[in-house]
Amino acid sequence: MARNTEPNPALAQRIEAQRRSRRQFIGRGALVAGGLVFAPSVLAACSSDGETSTDTSTGGTTGTSSDSLRISNWPLYISDGFNTAFQAATGISVDYQENFQDNESWFAANKDALNADQDIGADLIVPTDSLSARLIALGWLAELNPDNIPNMANIRPDLKLLPADPGNKHVLPYMAGIVGIAYNKAETGREITSVDDLWDPAFTGRVSLFSDMRDGLGMIMLSQGNDPAEPTEEAVRQAADLVASENANGQIRKFTGNDYQDDLTSGNIIVAQVYSGDVAQLQEENPDLEFVVPTGGATQFVDTMAIPYTTKNQAGAEAWMNFVYDKANYAKLIASVQYIPVLADMTEALAVEDPELAYNPLVNPPQATIDLLTSWAPLTDEQEQTFASIYTDVTGG
Amino acid sequence: MAGIAASGRKQAKWVPYAMIAPGMIYLGIFFVYPIITLFMESLSTNTGSVFLPEFTFSWEWANYTNAFSEYQEQIIRSFWYAFAATVLALAMAYPLAYYIAFRAGRSKNLMLGLVILPFFVTFLVRTIAWKTILADDGWVVSLLGAIGVLPSEGRLLSTSWAVIGGLTYNFLPFMVLPIYVSLEKIDPRLLEASKDLYAKPAKGFRKVILPLSMPGVLAGSLLTFIPASGDFINAEYLGGTQTTMVGTVIQKQFLVVKDYSTAAALSFMLMAIILVAVLAYTRALGTEDLV
Repeated sequence: MARNTEPNPALAQRIEAQRRSRRQFIGRGALVAGGLVFAPSVLAACSSDGETSTDTSTGGTTGTSSDSLRISNWPLYISDGFNTAFQAATGISVDYQENFQDNESWFAANKDALNADQDIGADLIVPTDSLSARLIALGWLAELNPDNIPNMANIRPDLKLLPADPGNKHVLPYMAGIVGIAYNKAETGREITSVDDLWDPAFTGRVSLFSDMRDGLGMIMLSQGNDPAEPTEEAVRQAADLVASENANGQIRKFTGNDYQDDLTSGNIIVAQVYSGDVAQLQEENPDLEFVVPTGGATQFVDTMAIPYTTKNQAGAEAWMNFVYDKANYAKLIASVQYIPVLADMTEALAVEDPELAYNPLVNPPQATIDLLTSWAPLTDEQEQTFASIYTDVTGG
Repeated sequence: MAGIAASGRKQAKWVPYAMIAPGMIYLGIFFVYPIITLFMESLSTNTGSVFLPEFTFSWEWANYTNAFSEYQEQIIRSFWYAFAATVLALAMAYPLAYYIAFRAGRSKNLMLGLVILPFFVTFLVRTIAWKTILADDGWVVSLLGAIGVLPSEGRLLSTSWAVIGGLTYNFLPFMVLPIYVSLEKIDPRLLEASKDLYAKPAKGFRKVILPLSMPGVLAGSLLTFIPASGDFINAEYLGGTQTTMVGTVIQKQFLVVKDYSTAAALSFMLMAIILVAVLAYTRALGTEDLV
């Protein structure tokens, strides 16, 4: 039966009319979609957040490059109004970028430029001590001029001798943190005090460890009687083997980076290795969470301020460091970020900001806690690769 | 007349080359050159330091054999997960595409829109959303626990099932749309003809629709299997310690251990295995068309 494939003229006309209006619709729709895509960027550019990548250029001083300072810092690692106050005090404008997300990614992205003596877009960076040890060994950091940083005297005595840089010639500490254990008191039903509690069969499948070699194995090595300040391959292997055997039993649910927070607050994980600075926020979301520094000892990490040798404003960077070390300013930083101060005797300055904070052992730990802490020794290239490889084999599945 | 025709032929000779030249140059710079460099790196040894490596090309096939023997568990697991995800996606996508193509009628566009709608949300956010859906105390786990079909760990997150589920979900639209397109192209008169020749609906499906939809099945399977085997986001967010895929291994080798040769060797092994699998699959399906 032949099918009539000739379109009805009236129908064809209606289709034509539809087609035009549909084309208009698509055109308008594209405009709207384009507007939606670009609107957030326009809004972000218009609004001045104060701390994230704004150029607070001054009217009075000349805008030469020596009067502007480019800082590359971790996200959420500064307090509101800090850079504005710095600019008011010194006249140096700050271009503050929160683009230091991960030590290894940053290194991978910038090593070729640094190797070729090219500007990397930052005059001051905040690498963790493990990375700064590497940068010092590679000769990529400028030597500091202590005359420009008189407030250096305020630094905690135990941190003046950073293993990576004794004498603080190339880097200065910014903030410290403890790698400790957090646990859900309601779920565990008891207190957790040491690394051995991580292996309690009652917690099978609900424990998480760090995937970073230093953070994950540090406290385990200490619990086995070995010292991360003098690491050997046998000690690392011993700790990694313990983790591997517990993993094979199904004890460990996940090896995490910074992403343990959701699982911990929701109860999927009840005992976890955590960073001390995150605990305040975790406890806000789940009041059952407690933080403990294991009795066998724990490692601390120190984020440091460093000046790459390709800097265009060393004096400005040193002025910023000096500004940070003023106790009143530093108290503001600590009150906002809630990691551990690297300056000595912060109790009074913190009490001005927030009396509760001054006596919070997570933010202002007593000497007894500080005595439990060790820092990792700076590793040679071969050690770095060997240890990382040993632990990656355990965490990699 | 002849002059015009002759000049037309002369123009035609170099015009096609000129037209594809920009694309070829782009591919040459951003695809061919990096692939060649990576291949040479995978066969090199590092004579510099760990952080400033200098690669000397030395036909180091040991990179490949070492990488395979160390990580064969992850490689095999990645392909098993990708295969499972492809089969599950096919099982779900084919009936859906069939319904949309043949039975949806007016709501065809709406249903297609609904299939694509999740893509408006970024891949990462969709995967993280599954963490909430499959949470230990969520309704999915409770329901499955009541029926008694939970995996041995007693949960869904941090097991291989969550990873396979995540992969299936993320690549489902890639399976639905090509199958839909090739089903849509089928001339309904062919099915009518089969009915006229006394074929029952099931036979009509088997003999007419299924073979004609094979190009869509091939395209959808390729679009699902190939990205899924290299995926590591689902394993990272939904998986546990026993579900690592080769993508994670490559990332760790590159960023943490800084063993660039091994990472490159693993990447090429992945590519080679996928190529072989795809060729075999295409042969088995009996079609080389993608639409």
